[in-house]
Amino acid sequence: MGNTEPRRHFFDLKIPLGSLLGFYGLLLLVYGIFGPSDIYDKSAHLDVNAIWGVLMIVLSSAFLLSAYRGRKAKK
Amino acid sequence: MKPVISLNFIDYMILGAYVLITIVVGYALKKYMKTSEDFFLSGRSLPSWITSLAFLSANLGALEVIGMVANSAKYGILTVHFYWIGAIPAMIFLGLFMMPFYYSTKVRSVPEYLKHRYNEATRGLNAVSFAIMTLLMSGISMYAMALLFELTLGWSLTSSILLSALVVLIYVFFGGLSSSIYNEVIQFFLIWLGLLPVVYIGLHAVGGFEGLVSRIPPSFMHVWQHMGSASDNPMGVDWLGMVLGLGFVLSFGYWTTDFLVVQRAMASEDLSAARRTPLMASFPKMLVPIIVVIPGLLAVALLPQFKVVPGGPTPDYNSALILMFAHYLPNGILGLAITGLLASFMSGMAGNVTAFNTVWTYDIYGSYIKKNMPDGHYLKMGKYATVFGVIFSIGTAYIVQSFPNLMDYMQLIFTFFNAPLFATFLLGMFWKKTTPWGGFWGLLIGISTAAFHYLMYQMHFIHYPSEMAANFYQAWWAWCADFVFTIIISLFTKRKEESELVGLVYGLTPKAHSGDSLFRKPAFWGVLSLVVMVVLNIIFW
Repeated sequence: MGNTEPRRHFFDLKIPLGSLLGFYGLLLLVYGIFGPSDIYDKSAHLDVNAIWGVLMIVLSSAFLLSAYRGRKAKK
Repeated sequence: MKPVISLNFIDYMILGAYVLITIVVGYALKKYMKTSEDFFLSGRSLPSWITSLAFLSANLGALEVIGMVANSAKYGILTVHFYWIGAIPAMIFLGLFMMPFYYSTKVRSVPEYLKHRYNEATRGLNAVSFAIMTLLMSGISMYAMALLFELTLGWSLTSSILLSALVVLIYVFFGGLSSSIYNEVIQFFLIWLGLLPVVYIGLHAVGGFEGLVSRIPPSFMHVWQHMGSASDNPMGVDWLGMVLGLGFVLSFGYWTTDFLVVQRAMASEDLSAARRTPLMASFPKMLVPIIVVIPGLLAVALLPQFKVVPGGPTPDYNSALILMFAHYLPNGILGLAITGLLASFMSGMAGNVTAFNTVWTYDIYGSYIKKNMPDGHYLKMGKYATVFGVIFSIGTAYIVQSFPNLMDYMQLIFTFFNAPLFATFLLGMFWKKTTPWGGFWGLLIGISTAAFHYLMYQMHFIHYPSEMAANFYQAWWAWCADFVFTIIISLFTKRKEESELVGLVYGLTPKAHSGDSLFRKPAFWGVLSLVVMVVLNIIFW
């Protein structure tokens, strides 16, 4: 940061955030694939649970990966 | 009335996981809370990506989300004025010009700045009115949220109120502002991820963006074209009222002086990060209409009860978002959407609570009740203030339940205080001849002008095409009164020594030279943000 003063950081927020989104992603993906399919009549026949599940897993991986790299860089 | 939404076990698992993680985050931060600055200002240690998302999230409360979807169903795309002209210029101004005075002087709150720049009386006026307003506000939004959940989910009012208040209390109690900010970032993502599916499915169902345009009134799709005169657009506001009232006074008053948002930037790790906080936040801010304006437009296009029929009954616009959820979201994603709403509610409430406990502890308790106590005493007081702040909010929620009309009055009264304050800051920061008593009396006259204008309007001495126009012009005149009288009174009262104003006023403060690279330079982000905003306004002209 070009800052001479050392800063004390809290734990990395990306870890709880990534974990929560990952949990949601898996839950929605599994429910979207194995759950009832008639509930998608209302959502214009899109299996949004599976779609959103995949999206959230991708997002979660990005957060967790970046947290992991940050930690490695520190060491 | 039968609830329109029924959740199943998947939905409840999603809600439960959210509640759990907020508490875990709060608890995990507990061990870092050693001094009062850790608790109230996150030890000024957070990177700008975190503070800027929190900056945005604290403002994106549930009332805001529900209300703006309702506005979009009622007025169409005109609602983006609240996000573009009504926020972006003010956020840029805060980041580029005002943040150095807040951050470099190491003041701990907005009222504390007023004390240094003006005097104790000005600080007291601002601190007390702000503390009361934040608690009332958090009670009002708690009630509105609980009412919505009662009608749509069938949850009892008391269980919604207690659940949400308790969760916020726990995480703020343990981790203070840091906990509030960390959770606001999580909430930011949940609000987006929870609201986007209804946009996606809705646009799919209506046949894409063109399908949407073909099914709503043409005036719903233009931002400026129908602003020439108040009678041409559904809001009943002309362009001048929009620019002066909303774009200038209300927006600058809120974004640059409201401690609720400014506190997030003050928690940044250094001045450059503090300045970038509102600037970086301005980009997602410009995109918020995707999740609030489009659902409102989709409700008009897709749901028969929102079709505008001349002479027909007025639709209940506040239910637009929930009805879209009920019609288009299957279980699973539905739970995520409700979690997003709950998250937006909690972020708004925690924002209020953390701003309150700081102003109470530093500016009221520490200044008038018990001065010069050891730091640990104030840390403890901050925790107590969190508890009684939440209890007071719950009380307000129940009072509003018995007198629902109070809600409108209170929200209105808040505008009396917010609008003129920006004049006091503007003169204080940029004109060194502004005197302490000039600031105090100017502010008081500004507030009184707003109240007087409101009375005149209520008694039909002044007329406006719409309630909203009255509001915007009221803000404008209150600002003018504050501005003019602060100057006049300053000419006749005693000034502060220039040496006392170093760091507080433009021109008496050495310019901070930042050796930052281009992408860390606040000016770069400010200019870019302004350009994007102008382009957006032209595209949707």
